[in-house]
Amino acid sequence: MSDWGIQKAALGERLAAGQQHARGKVVPIPSLPAFLKAVIRSGDRVCLEGDNQKQADILASALANLDPRHVHDLHMVQSGVVLPSHLDIFEKGIARRLDFSYSGPQSARIARMLFGGKIELGAVHTYLELFARYFIDLTPNVALIAAVSADKDGNLYTGPNTEDTPTVVEATSYKNGLVVAQVTEIVDKVPRVDIPGDLVHFVVEAGRPFYVEPLFTRDPAAITETQILTAMLAIKGIYAPYGVRRLNHGIGFNTAAIELLLPTYGEKLGLKGKVCTHFALNPHPTIIPAIEAGWVEQIHCFGSEVGMEDYVAARSDVFFTGPDGSLRSNRAFCQTAGLYACDMFIGSTLQIDLEGHSSTVTTSRIAGFGGAPNMGSDPRGRRHPSEPWLKAGAEADPDSNAALRRGRKLVVQIGETFGERNTPLFVERLDALDLAQELKLDLAPVMVYSDDVTHIVTEEGIANLLMCRSKDEREQAIRGVAGYTDIGRARDAKLVDQLRQRGVIRRPEDLGIDPLDADRRLLAARSIKDIMLASGGLYRPPSRFRNW
Amino acid sequence: MTAATANDVPLSWYEASARQRIDALVDAGSFCEFIGPELREISPHLAIFNLPEQFDDGIVIGRGRLDGAPVLVAAQEGRFMGGAFGEVHGAKLTGLLRAARALKQDVVILFDTGGVRLQEANAGELAIAEIMRAVIEARHSGINVVGLIGGRAGCYGGGSLIAGTCSRLIISEQGRLSVSGPEVIETNKGIEEFDSRDRALVWRTMGGKHRYLIGGADIFVDDQALAFREAAIATLAIRSRFDPNVLQAEQKRLERRLHRFGDVEDAIEIWEVLGIDQPTGIPALPTGAFLRAANKRENADDAR
Repeated sequence: MSDWGIQKAALGERLAAGQQHARGKVVPIPSLPAFLKAVIRSGDRVCLEGDNQKQADILASALANLDPRHVHDLHMVQSGVVLPSHLDIFEKGIARRLDFSYSGPQSARIARMLFGGKIELGAVHTYLELFARYFIDLTPNVALIAAVSADKDGNLYTGPNTEDTPTVVEATSYKNGLVVAQVTEIVDKVPRVDIPGDLVHFVVEAGRPFYVEPLFTRDPAAITETQILTAMLAIKGIYAPYGVRRLNHGIGFNTAAIELLLPTYGEKLGLKGKVCTHFALNPHPTIIPAIEAGWVEQIHCFGSEVGMEDYVAARSDVFFTGPDGSLRSNRAFCQTAGLYACDMFIGSTLQIDLEGHSSTVTTSRIAGFGGAPNMGSDPRGRRHPSEPWLKAGAEADPDSNAALRRGRKLVVQIGETFGERNTPLFVERLDALDLAQELKLDLAPVMVYSDDVTHIVTEEGIANLLMCRSKDEREQAIRGVAGYTDIGRARDAKLVDQLRQRGVIRRPEDLGIDPLDADRRLLAARSIKDIMLASGGLYRPPSRFRNW
Repeated sequence: MTAATANDVPLSWYEASARQRIDALVDAGSFCEFIGPELREISPHLAIFNLPEQFDDGIVIGRGRLDGAPVLVAAQEGRFMGGAFGEVHGAKLTGLLRAARALKQDVVILFDTGGVRLQEANAGELAIAEIMRAVIEARHSGINVVGLIGGRAGCYGGGSLIAGTCSRLIISEQGRLSVSGPEVIETNKGIEEFDSRDRALVWRTMGGKHRYLIGGADIFVDDQALAFREAAIATLAIRSRFDPNVLQAEQKRLERRLHRFGDVEDAIEIWEVLGIDQPTGIPALPTGAFLRAANKRENADDAR
């Protein structure tokens, strides 16, 4: 009785079943439905590749078109629930259980399906957390992935959007799982081998590129003067005094404004070379002027961005590129880099409560986390010192023995007191709590926990939470920068004034910033076209962003 | 303390407010506003809809000098209700045009409008008709009425009709000139007909370069206040003609244009028919190269 080698044998059966529909490793598109039916078993744990950017869209639709009488009760473990087909799979009863990280455009539908009991939710993760579980208790039986090209042996070229692929393949293939890749085309020789063919069992020639969402393009034309003011505050009040050189910027107009102020306002402050030299960052088009002005030494990317391919290839001194010239992104490595090797995370949020918890959840949507909670957290396993990390640690705990004191990662939440459609940024109670109650979740989906947040920046000023010594002080520091929101108006004026005397709260005038100077002319680029011109024509914005 | 202003950056016409545009357009310090915000001539209709008013009702009118010559100026504020025409807004422009005729002074209109304000549609539509009549009457008595188009709201709806009656139009790449807006077309004809979110499509169909190429506008300038000023000075120096011959010639040109381009599906094909070498490259060309490439463009002369 052979009790060992069961998984290898099971893989062998799948390979044999799949081989019926393939020539070598290549599955012709018309055979894809029959092929998937043959290799996927009911109850399988399936990783359908897709994150906030690239999508294995052909394989997703093929999976959603299976007959639930043949294949059902799948357990989907995937970074992103982004395409309609990702949820059709549940609607039709092909899959039942879901562990994921990010849902973006499907956030409303996923919430409805959770209420309706169509989806059995495992948990909502951060990217890195879900990747980690691929290797411990959520290892896929089948991975359906996406690449740019393959050769007949299954060697894959993923192009600039490598993203999650190496992680998914590593976890699946080395644990007797089956790996199926959709590729744009099959070629004689791939431009570079991103995934060795040994790990890839079947390849489907899709005949067109996988879908990629241009998620990180922010049009400078939409940056407001309030956002410019908050960006000036952040640069002068946080970047400069801490000397933040290694950092991550979240998505949003606030950080886009910071990127566009570096070559103008940052230059005037004499900060070039002293801040923002090393990034864990997607290739944001708005970082181009800073790169061109010589601010940025190095950027490692989670993923790519539509239109940035040629620019990145031409700036291999800054970006990580392969021998073929194009960007090599890697989400798992970049998330790790952002966690351990960056001294600051700065990003926007939708709601901040009185303790400083922040959340991007609204009552009817589950947008997931993506990478922000990982970027926006203090890594307790960190041991290497740096100036900003030590300074933040000292501010938090000035009296302890410096040699035994942990440093702190700067975790900055930035936004206007009133956000889109005049919704207040500051709230008494997070919507995430109501959602958790309704869905009977053990945890409310909090993006950045209060004990990780170090600074809150609004147009009213900067609240330094590291320097707050009690819960009460923390609350007043938050109220103190909450402006005319209900939270802000309920502040204790005397306490807030004391906090300002101590430098816990710093107003624009305390930093020598005149709000009237926050002019759009300060932006190094005021339109997508300006960015394109700054790139010397190398940045090719997608049609929807071009006003020419 | 660091001064954070970047005054060496030229003022973008697209981004500037109505008042910034006037300041940059006329000779320094020469502008004198008529019916300014201190008089609080606000819309009588907006309060009914619980909408905020603006003390100048979104248009600044007055008198100034352009290279020393007296000129009347009207500038729409695209940031207030999309620069839309309401009762007061329209009446201010009508009055200015009538004054131009009486004073024998040329007029420059800085368009930045989505058309008529829905909340005061009847008054707005009437205003458009009155303004067009006033433009025609002014031109008939020898006055130049020059339109400048390059604001964020573009020049749409009734604004585009008024622009059509002007003696000359100056436009930038960012400027858009069209009767129906992208969203309106998409709503009525479907996304297959026109995808309003495809901005490259919007600009190559309604934007300044295309309008210049098909004779919908007369002078093409960079998105800079100084470029608009220089073009306005040069344009006002030319007396435009306005008589039945001009109108008949334009009617013939439009018939010919319809015949030439009536069957094509996209602006790029029009440019190809015009005989432009690399039509797909047009949107990316900088101004100088574009003007050289545009030497085979349609020309509207003094009517359109």
